Amino acid sequence: MTDPARITLQLAALFYLAAFVVSWPVSTKRFVFPFLFFAALGCNSFTIYSRYMQSWPMLPMHLGALALPLCLALMLAFLGGLRAFTHWFVLRLGLLLCVALIVVALLFPKDFYLPFLKSKTYLSHAFLWFALFAKGACAISALWALSAWPFATALPENIRPLTALKHSLGWAALGFGLWTISMFCGELWCYLGWGTPVVWQDPALTLTLAGWFFYACVLHLHLTKSWNLQLRAAFIGFGGLVVLAMSCLPDFGPFRPVVLP
Amino acid sequence: MKSRRTSLWHRLGSINLTIVLCIVLTMDLIWGYFCLERKTPIFTPLNDMGLWAWSKTYGLYNLQHTGWFFLLLVLLTAFSLNTFVCTTNRVQQLFASRRGGGQWLGKLAPHVMHYALIVILLGYLCSYLFTDVLTGRTLVPGSSLSLPDTGGTVSLLAYEPDYYHGKRLAFFDDAVITARFRLQLDDGNSQREAVLSCTRPVRFQGYSLHLKNFAPKKKGGMNRKTRVDLSIRKDPGVGIYLVGMGLFSLGLLLYFFDWVMIREKHSS
Repeated sequence: MTDPARITLQLAALFYLAAFVVSWPVSTKRFVFPFLFFAALGCNSFTIYSRYMQSWPMLPMHLGALALPLCLALMLAFLGGLRAFTHWFVLRLGLLLCVALIVVALLFPKDFYLPFLKSKTYLSHAFLWFALFAKGACAISALWALSAWPFATALPENIRPLTALKHSLGWAALGFGLWTISMFCGELWCYLGWGTPVVWQDPALTLTLAGWFFYACVLHLHLTKSWNLQLRAAFIGFGGLVVLAMSCLPDFGPFRPVVLP
Repeated sequence: MKSRRTSLWHRLGSINLTIVLCIVLTMDLIWGYFCLERKTPIFTPLNDMGLWAWSKTYGLYNLQHTGWFFLLLVLLTAFSLNTFVCTTNRVQQLFASRRGGGQWLGKLAPHVMHYALIVILLGYLCSYLFTDVLTGRTLVPGSSLSLPDTGGTVSLLAYEPDYYHGKRLAFFDDAVITARFRLQLDDGNSQREAVLSCTRPVRFQGYSLHLKNFAPKKKGGMNRKTRVDLSIRKDPGVGIYLVGMGLFSLGLLLYFFDWVMIREKHSS
């Protein structure tokens, strides 16, 4: 299959992986990191552009698994202050997550569904993109929590884990807000298109709601601090990744071997 | 007796209960995904039949696939109660120690979202319990249908589709890209025209008319006759959950305004 979108997606995975490799402190080629990172962003963007061109003004079906790495990488680019160790830790884990998502999307593609007329509304696009950026922010929140978790007892004065969890809270709050807006857009779209607040033909809605409740729980945990720091970090880190992986599940299809260009 | 009631009230409003309920809700909804994916047809009639009729038929006869849904209803009820009690307690405290305009509003934001969530859930419940649904209503050009208990009639005047011509959407060549149906709405005293399309329902006499299906979908081809299948609903819950969504958005806006403008300013 010589679909350009598929080729650029494979290239994006390679660039993300290369950026991950050169991001290690032992690497002498760290100066090439921005070039590889932006090349990966470019390839990933082209894939999305290409899929959008095949369905606009309707919504491309099951774009989530391909577009989530792009949203995650764009948000990682806003992490700022890349000198601090935890930032690099989060960045590296984020890049690995991007590679993993793309590899799974390449092996289990779901690109055989045609767009449908009822998705020809701005609300459907807003529903998709707010959800993707929400998942990106929630993934970064989970990665910040993971960066706090293994060192929570080893570090003196517990300063770094606390700071990492504070960052995690910020990203979780942003993710929760975007997730809520996405759900509202989805509900309005449902009402206009089908006359009901929920379309039961789409099982993915339950996972969207599951993610929303999980992040509502995360925010309450952060605000009340009712669990100790390590437990909170583990719950937000591992739990967040599991919930996000589950929310991507509907975008994956049956196994198909990767054909290299 | 009074102290027992107070103790129950405080337990019901516990934030630890919120956390437990959120975790159980998350797990229940993940379970629901697998049930819904395998047995989607069991859940599809829920929108047309309403919660009560669906529960007595599809719901109770397929408990192994619908159990998660009934558990969801119980958990959402508990979650709403917990949210209401917890928020009411905190709002009372907040009003008692009221000072400082902007900061106070920022502190009120989460409570606005909490109440809004309850309003949204009530709207959904209302929608699934009290909606009148008229299914299987089809119009062809020149035909009309009447809306029960209103004296209003709806007729189809014309079908005005836009066809896609181009190479970008190969599978849509010569297919309808915008389906517009011009309807005449007659309430007995006056008449007006309205346009119905895929994501543009028509509201008339308390009912909303939604496009369910239509024909023809392609130019030429089988040359099928024009028809539009409608889903007609009288849903008292829509207004409630729309108000809830508006309130929640307002709370979210206040919260982020407080976060960005006030807390960041203080921390810097």
